[in-house]
Amino acid sequence: MALNATTSTAVPAAEHGHHISPAKRLQMNRVGLWLFFFSESLIFGLLLSARFFLAGIDREHVDQTLGLIITIILLVSSITAYLGETAVEHGNRKMGIWMILATIVLGLVFAGGVAYEWGTAHFSRQQVFGTVFFSMTGMHAFHVMSGVVFLILAWWQLVRGSFGPGDSWGITATVMYWHFVDVVWVFFYPALYLVS
Amino acid sequence: MTKAVRTGLMVALILAILTVLEYFFAVSVDDDVVRFVGLTVTALGKAVLILIYFMHFMRMFRQEEAEGWH
Repeated sequence: MALNATTSTAVPAAEHGHHISPAKRLQMNRVGLWLFFFSESLIFGLLLSARFFLAGIDREHVDQTLGLIITIILLVSSITAYLGETAVEHGNRKMGIWMILATIVLGLVFAGGVAYEWGTAHFSRQQVFGTVFFSMTGMHAFHVMSGVVFLILAWWQLVRGSFGPGDSWGITATVMYWHFVDVVWVFFYPALYLVS
Repeated sequence: MTKAVRTGLMVALILAILTVLEYFFAVSVDDDVVRFVGLTVTALGKAVLILIYFMHFMRMFRQEEAEGWH
């Protein structure tokens, strides 16, 4: 009796789950991803406000040329990511594979540039600006590296034949995350390198 | 070249120009307040461009679109 009661309630629930249309599910995925971006924005926003609260607009000497170069590298990686995503959405798998691979390489170069900046910085983490600089670039570089890992996973799936027109959410979401990392740097770069 | 690619490349070009302008603006302006406001406005402009064109922000409000999910 109890078993029958359980079964009779479970079946409609399962059927209900099947009634979520692909369009609705895609919509839910998009909203979920944007909520994730919003929560991440709070972390980066707090770091940005801490930079100005603790150090004002003052800054120590940073390598301006290196800062501009890694900023351009990240910008170019956003373009390759966009081209890769667009290629997959239009069924051009080969182009998508090469563009996502280029994005991965550029992401690693950016992380290498940040690591070089850390190694050659003329200030220590004990200084106020050092604290905010290493915190902000460290948190951002961590997201860059996690983005590279996501891109590698998506790229590997792409190489193995996954994704295509009408089935590109995995690539789209990964590339959107990469663009989010780029948006964060759009605010961090002037705050750390150009202000003052 | 598809329309999406053309749009993406155009946005990328605008972002590149804004980045270079941002750099030269910062190194050439002496007034801290003017520099801060200018950099903030430029950063906001770049962020909006990326959000709309690269992150497809407006797709979140489109119910009818089903592609991209299988």
